[in-house]
Amino acid sequence: MELVYAVCVGFMSTCGIFLMLRGHTFTLVIGLTLLSYAVNLFLFASGGLTIGAPAVLSSSENYADPLPQALVLTAIVIGFAMTAFAVILAMRGRADLGSDHVDGIEPFDPLAEDKS
Amino acid sequence: MHYFWVPFLPMFGIIVPLLANKLNRSACTLATALLPALALCLIFLDLPAVLAGESFSKSIEWIPQLGLSLSFRLDGLAALFSILILGIGLLVILYARYYLSEKDHIGRFYCYLIMFMTAMLGIVMSNNMLQLWFYWELTSISSFLLIGFWSHNSDARKGARMALTITGAGGLALLGGIILLGQVVGSYELDVVLNSGELVKQSPYYLAILSLFLIGAFTKSAQFPFHFWLPHAMAAPTPVSAYLHSATMVKAGIFLLARFYPVLAGTETWFVVVSLTGLFTMLLGAYTALFKHDLKGLLAYSTISHLGLIVLLLGLNTELAAIAAIFHIMNHAVFKASLFMAAGIIDHESGSRDMRKINGLWKYMPITATLAMVASASMAGVPLLNGFLSKEMFFTETLEQSILGSMSWLIPVLATIAAAFSVAYSLRFIHDVFFNGEPKGLTKTPHEPPRYMRVPVEILVAICLLVGIFPNYTIGPLLESASLAVFNHALPEYSLSIWHGFNFPLLMSGMATMGGVAIYLNRKHLFKFSGMFPDIDAKLVFEGCIQASVAWAQKITMKLENGSLQRYAFCLCFFALLLIAPPLFDLDTTRGSLPGTPINGAVLVAAILIIAGSLATIIWSHYRLIALLMLSLVGLVVSITFAYFSAPDLALTQLSVEIVTVILLLLALYFFPQQTPTSKSRPSHFVRDLTVASFIGCIIGSICFALMTHPLDSISAFFLANAKTGGGGTNVVNVILVDFRGFDTFGEITVLGIAALGIHKLIARMRLSVRTKDYAGRLWAKDKYPVLLSVVSQSLLPLFLLISAYIFMRGHNLPGGGFIAGLITSIALIQQYLAHGVDWMAKRVSVNYHYMIAIGLTIAGLTGLGSWIFDRPFLTSWFEYVSLPWIGKFELASALVFDIGVYFTVIGATLLILASLGKLTTTERLTVGER
Amino acid sequence: MSLFDHLVIFPVLIPFFVAVALLFPGLSNSLSKQRVVSITANILMVVVAFSLLFKVEAQGIQVYALGDWSAPFGIVLVADLFSVLMVCLSAILGLAVTMYASAGEDKTGAFFHTLIMFQLMGINGAFLTGDAFNLFVFFEVLLIASYSLMIHGGGKQRTQANIHYVFLNLIGSSLFLFALGTLYGTLGTLNFADMADRIPLLSSNELLIAKSGALLLLAVFGLKAAMLPLHFWLPKAYSTTSTPVAALFAIMTKVGIYSIWRVHGVIFGDQAGELANIALPWLWPIALLTIAIGAIAVLASKSLRVLCSNLVIVSVGTLLVTISLNTVQATSAGIYYLLHSTIACAAMFLLAGLIQQQRGQAEDRFVAARAMPQAGVLGFIFALLAIALIGMPPLSGFVGKALILQSVTNASEAMWVFPIILVGGLIALIALSRAGTSLFWRTNGENTSALKGHPLQYLAIGLLVVILPLMVIFGGPVSDYTQLAAEQLKAGLSLQQLNEVAK
Repeated sequence: MELVYAVCVGFMSTCGIFLMLRGHTFTLVIGLTLLSYAVNLFLFASGGLTIGAPAVLSSSENYADPLPQALVLTAIVIGFAMTAFAVILAMRGRADLGSDHVDGIEPFDPLAEDKS
Repeated sequence: MHYFWVPFLPMFGIIVPLLANKLNRSACTLATALLPALALCLIFLDLPAVLAGESFSKSIEWIPQLGLSLSFRLDGLAALFSILILGIGLLVILYARYYLSEKDHIGRFYCYLIMFMTAMLGIVMSNNMLQLWFYWELTSISSFLLIGFWSHNSDARKGARMALTITGAGGLALLGGIILLGQVVGSYELDVVLNSGELVKQSPYYLAILSLFLIGAFTKSAQFPFHFWLPHAMAAPTPVSAYLHSATMVKAGIFLLARFYPVLAGTETWFVVVSLTGLFTMLLGAYTALFKHDLKGLLAYSTISHLGLIVLLLGLNTELAAIAAIFHIMNHAVFKASLFMAAGIIDHESGSRDMRKINGLWKYMPITATLAMVASASMAGVPLLNGFLSKEMFFTETLEQSILGSMSWLIPVLATIAAAFSVAYSLRFIHDVFFNGEPKGLTKTPHEPPRYMRVPVEILVAICLLVGIFPNYTIGPLLESASLAVFNHALPEYSLSIWHGFNFPLLMSGMATMGGVAIYLNRKHLFKFSGMFPDIDAKLVFEGCIQASVAWAQKITMKLENGSLQRYAFCLCFFALLLIAPPLFDLDTTRGSLPGTPINGAVLVAAILIIAGSLATIIWSHYRLIALLMLSLVGLVVSITFAYFSAPDLALTQLSVEIVTVILLLLALYFFPQQTPTSKSRPSHFVRDLTVASFIGCIIGSICFALMTHPLDSISAFFLANAKTGGGGTNVVNVILVDFRGFDTFGEITVLGIAALGIHKLIARMRLSVRTKDYAGRLWAKDKYPVLLSVVSQSLLPLFLLISAYIFMRGHNLPGGGFIAGLITSIALIQQYLAHGVDWMAKRVSVNYHYMIAIGLTIAGLTGLGSWIFDRPFLTSWFEYVSLPWIGKFELASALVFDIGVYFTVIGATLLILASLGKLTTTERLTVGER
Repeated sequence: MSLFDHLVIFPVLIPFFVAVALLFPGLSNSLSKQRVVSITANILMVVVAFSLLFKVEAQGIQVYALGDWSAPFGIVLVADLFSVLMVCLSAILGLAVTMYASAGEDKTGAFFHTLIMFQLMGINGAFLTGDAFNLFVFFEVLLIASYSLMIHGGGKQRTQANIHYVFLNLIGSSLFLFALGTLYGTLGTLNFADMADRIPLLSSNELLIAKSGALLLLAVFGLKAAMLPLHFWLPKAYSTTSTPVAALFAIMTKVGIYSIWRVHGVIFGDQAGELANIALPWLWPIALLTIAIGAIAVLASKSLRVLCSNLVIVSVGTLLVTISLNTVQATSAGIYYLLHSTIACAAMFLLAGLIQQQRGQAEDRFVAARAMPQAGVLGFIFALLAIALIGMPPLSGFVGKALILQSVTNASEAMWVFPIILVGGLIALIALSRAGTSLFWRTNGENTSALKGHPLQYLAIGLLVVILPLMVIFGGPVSDYTQLAAEQLKAGLSLQQLNEVAK
């Protein structure tokens, strides 16, 4: 199980980072969201995985590590704030710069250049 | 003990001219001269003791960490230099009053001048090396200001910059040397340093120290190869050239050599390097001076040559050389200053400095001419003048030294040649300017200057004669004590008389004089000869170098900062990869001791969904809507995962955040092109990014795995133990959020609030073109707000609110809490927005969402403050079980109030974001068409 | 527990409450009231910061256990001399910036004063907190505030620069969380002191994992500090944003430096057993490269604000050198230099604002233009700041530089540090002298149309400039403070000591 979990986290972060390395703001925002999922799962797992033992007292004997959960909660909220800001900033960029490329202008197309 | 005040008087004097500027020029001049004059008197008060061979020093702690102390000394050398600085300084002040024209800001000029005087005094009187450096740099700065005084003229600007750059560079080198020296000796106080010469010469750092010091000295004293800045410093007003660039500042380097003579001198390296540099500079200067048509140019190069002479003397390995050097320092200062002033007068009264134009001034300004001729005779080393004496001593020493072993005879020969040239250019100065026919094409007819403008020259020339004729009575004692300070031990025997009988030095002088005359007579051929060489303008070369390096720097910077975020982001990721990877390579296995929990179908499905979803997001990242859907699928699975691994709070939060995020992204997508233009980034980049991303992914995955399988003794046990007793809640996660780590939550809602404000800021000025058609070119649906939706959502609203209230209340003990409740409420409200539109809502809901954020934050903050009343730190929680009739026993907790704060902030922020975004869709509909 | 005992948290709470108060109806719709309030608040902050400084000097390190939960379970604020010095610095900057902005630049967008306050709250929190995750939270506070402040006033360039800044930092934040997860997963705690205690107890495997976590933090802080190769965002961001914001940002890079100092210089410092000084092998070359590249960029700069931004990078490199020298003396020198360079750079940014507004079309670019109406006073201030930034006497720059050079004792290090720092200084000298001559001396005609600087603006600049000579005149006491701060920092703080202090 841990293995599967780890694989998922790794894969998600790969996709997230890859998308964050792309050139268009909206893609970056999607990548950011994906990456933050990965981050949250990672942070969550840092206390180990527990099944069927939520950290609500007197519901069972052994409890899941509550601290990472609290941290993840905070992380989620902050992540939400950041994502929201990022997406609006992306819109602002498109409004001001007329393009949704991160550098404000579409880079020249090397392939097109080859054709010419 | 008056000397300690000497450096301070001029320091206070710096502001005087600025204050006195209001008065007329003469009054301003007097006021300026006052404090330096006073300082000079103080020196004279202490002089007798100094001449008796005493040396005072006094120091006050300043920055002990640095070893910098306010520390001054007065010994022969210091006294000699301070007298030169203050004496000539006073004369220059007087001279400048007549030299500067009405439109020059004389107050500012004097201010800079006195600033320089202060710095110079500081150098010569410092008893602490760092303090010496402190003043050393000040001279560079003030000379920059003085050279650039006529800032409107480009030569002045360039010359000033060049001087500053060269001397500044030297200064930095000197700092390095001083700090090394201080580390070797263990102190920066000169008293200590000067007496530890042996220690220094033994130390491995000696060469480094020596070279750094020499760079410092040579740049300042315009020694080859750093000599080129001096001629261009002549763009300064002539009083400045007279003062800084002949008498004093350029002597600072020589002073440095003299001051540290006991510490650094006496080794083979010193003798060879110093003497040869001096020799070469002397020859170069003397030769070049002859061909300069500009009066000041000639004097500048002759200054270079004389400085070279002095440096050469300091580099000779004979006992008397240093004494001769000091003697020549004084003499040169005197006659060169007077010559510059004379040149200034000529320039001032004839309107030109070009020796091809100004000829035969004898009949226009006989007195000035006489003075100038005496001075230049002294420069040429004619008997009965001070120049002659030091030159004789110089010749004697060149004969005594043995630096170049068997080839040592070269030095006296070359010395004689240089002397011959100096005779030649002195002759030219006299003959070209005052005789040699009539002036050609002068703008005005030359005439004698105002009476007092000539006084400084007269005084200096008088000194030339007095010293020249009665050396022993005039300068003898001072020279002796100064040399004593340099040697730092008993002086060898030497005599200061005009006549030493017929001997080699006399012969050399004779040859030099005759040679000089010969050279001058045949100057035509020489001019032709030198004319064959292209004359290089050091200024242009220097500027060229700077320009080139700037261009080079710009090329590099352009290459690095190419303005592509993708490049920067890659750098970040790659750098992170480099940092985290290596430790894991040393790790033999990531699997820890814990037994793995068995895999089951549900998890597998979830995993597959996540992977597939992420993959799809990437693959279809160009079709943004689809990518978004895929993303939300992943998000959903993630929240399920949380639920599965016993984190109900997380699941709930993730879910609600998920919903809000997706709504937000959908709204945003409305303003974006539906598709990303097919990637124009090079395939190589694609591969590059994919590689680094997957490496990081692998590493994160393995770390994650390792963490899950390693046993962990964490602080969590405490939370489980104290949640109920100390936090009054059974939902430990929530208790941590609002109590144990409430401060995090406090910061977190702040972040949310700020984000909302920032977004409002972003949207406020946003002008977006809104598309009227969707990507397939279909018009948007006519009915803006589908009836069904509006009805349903409206009826759902109360239910939602009820749920959120419930979620909120139970939060402390069961999964839930302010944040989730807040999100649910806001979702409900957003739904109203979606269903009825912004305007409809605006009519009904008249809350300003900033206020709501503010209220939320205030509640949270005040709850925190509340604990102060009970003498507890910020955010200390309080809870009590109260029982009311009918309702029964229930809990009141401050944490709950805090959670209310969270609740409001969340609603305020979320709605501020979405509502203001929503507004765009309506108010901006006017603008039509894709951009 | 008197009000005085809560002093430690004031630097975080005052800006918070003021910021919130500025949102309420009474204030939010009257800029003049906002100005009065926030300037007063900033003055109060300065007072609080300095009284905290004296308190710490008198009574030693102060610990404030939030929610009355002792470390490592609760979050604690730790005020030692270093952190308090930084708080003082931010308070002074805050005051200057607010005064400058109150002359009019706060008009050009919403919520300016609120955001500045939140920014200060984040910065102070980051300086004071003794908890790793809380540090993350405050990083986010100051980041989100800075995101919003950077686009204050609007404009294409700002949006453009902001996009780069924001997205890079978003990646940075994610990495931060990965690192925190890793550290918590191995050490099982978040409190700095507790971490330091637990590191030696780790098993060999956990050590390696913790190591990569710690090194990942270096990347995160490095991004904030703008060290090579993560510095690319800085010049554009700082040179395009509005003047007061740029000036305030002068301290942002220092937050990164500060965190590196705390985490890699102390927690993973000499006492960390197996993991002692893991960051040094990286920091050493990076520091020197940062200076070198920064200096080249300084030479290449075409406008004053860009030049100043690159000087910030050089100063970051210099500070990294002092960190990697890893001695008390070097640390002390570093702290002194930090105070000096932050103030000098901030002042230069403010000055650049005035110059730009008085030179019309030419703005602050190094081209010939009409003379500025107030060229005299501006030129004077420029000269002072240039001297300070180059590191020439009589201003504080030379003390910092000399202290740093002195702290380099062994030859192999000196061989690298001496030339690079000295040549760096020379380049700064060349660049700034060229800048000065072309800004103030290469003029044609008088520019009468340009608006003169507002007294408040001069007051703000003056406030900062005055500090530079004072740091020399009172160099003795100041360097004693930095020395003490360095000793406290390097000594480290075990959990036990922490809790004793807390009592």
